[in-house]
Amino acid sequence: MKKFLVALLLAGSLLPASYAVSKPSDTPPPKIKVGDMAPDFTLQDQNGNKVSLHDFRGKKNVALAFYIFAFTGG
Amino acid sequence: MQAFQQNLSKLEAADTQVLGVSMDSPFSNKAWAQQIGVTFPLLSDWGGDITREYGLYNPAYKAARRVNYVIDKNGKVIEMQLDSDAIDPTKVVVACQAQKLGR
Repeated sequence: MKKFLVALLLAGSLLPASYAVSKPSDTPPPKIKVGDMAPDFTLQDQNGNKVSLHDFRGKKNVALAFYIFAFTGG
Repeated sequence: MQAFQQNLSKLEAADTQVLGVSMDSPFSNKAWAQQIGVTFPLLSDWGGDITREYGLYNPAYKAARRVNYVIDKNGKVIEMQLDSDAIDPTKVVVACQAQKLGR
């Protein structure tokens, strides 16, 4: 039993670093970059309206701001 | 999003529509918009299809990365900021104002 516990502890200490939380640098680059055509979408806003990117085509620029979670800063 | 709200009049003056997007539900977005006084659309990418299509899904958080894009009237991306660089919308404002001036 003691040997088993020691082995378990050893195994724990040898867990690879990949179990650590991934850093932003580990995330792959975005698929859509400067110079690309922005893929169209239709999504629901906070008031239940459908909003599409193509609604603004030829009329306005769009500042598209992806955020992580509601109720967080920025 | 509060920072975008603070810059909303400048962005609107530069012919720009502001759209926030996250993987939150419309119900969360409604409560949050009311709490912080956001008047522009907060779009719900429930399930994350659009977030993945743009390549912005962060599996560590099961959510989108923080990214700003400026898309011109032809639908082309002319500006992008990632992660901590995307908190301050100043570069977005400048890009939209430059676009209005035809530069």
